[in-house]
Amino acid sequence: MNQRWHEKILVLTAALVLAGCTVKAVGDPNRPITINAHITVDIQGLQQTASGIEDFVSGKTPQI
Amino acid sequence: MKTMLKIFVTAALLSAGSTIYAAQYDIKQMTPEVRQALENRRARFNELHALKAQGIVGENNRGYIEFLESGAAAPSLVIAENSDRKVIYQTIAEQNDLQGQLDTIEKVFAQVQRDKAESGDRIQGDDGQWIQK
Repeated sequence: MNQRWHEKILVLTAALVLAGCTVKAVGDPNRPITINAHITVDIQGLQQTASGIEDFVSGKTPQI
Repeated sequence: MKTMLKIFVTAALLSAGSTIYAAQYDIKQMTPEVRQALENRRARFNELHALKAQGIVGENNRGYIEFLESGAAAPSLVIAENSDRKVIYQTIAEQNDLQGQLDTIEKVFAQVQRDKAESGDRIQGDDGQWIQK
């Protein structure tokens, strides 16, 4: 019984983690809700992209 | 207990997967404008390289070329280069849902330009100071 209770909590936690990006807004359509989302940029990923583009520009690589 | 472990592993993998996906920034669609900008930059690379070696221009800390010698020739080259860079930065922002992050994209390119600069080139650090690499 105790173990099943733990499992339910874990399923709920996992569902919340996976649904973390979804925001459901319910309300008056004449009064839109504004949500300020914080965007995190992966700098390392962007650096790789930039490096690939600059290597193409300098002629080090034939394509991006 | 096995079920608990499975749930945690699944959640961890899905979370990691979304992080990896988010990191794949790219020029996803090669529009005529961005293709032209890239080809333009490639075509003027050697000329720009020579100006850098002479110390006439340098890489600033916002991802663009800057004149460092007043009265220097070839202003149109610098203007055209910066215009093409802007097209590329804006394309990356638009195609990767990074609207509003143009500053970050420019700064990352500036860092990459500093890393790739050759010895003797003039570069601007994050603190605004110009140094010779």
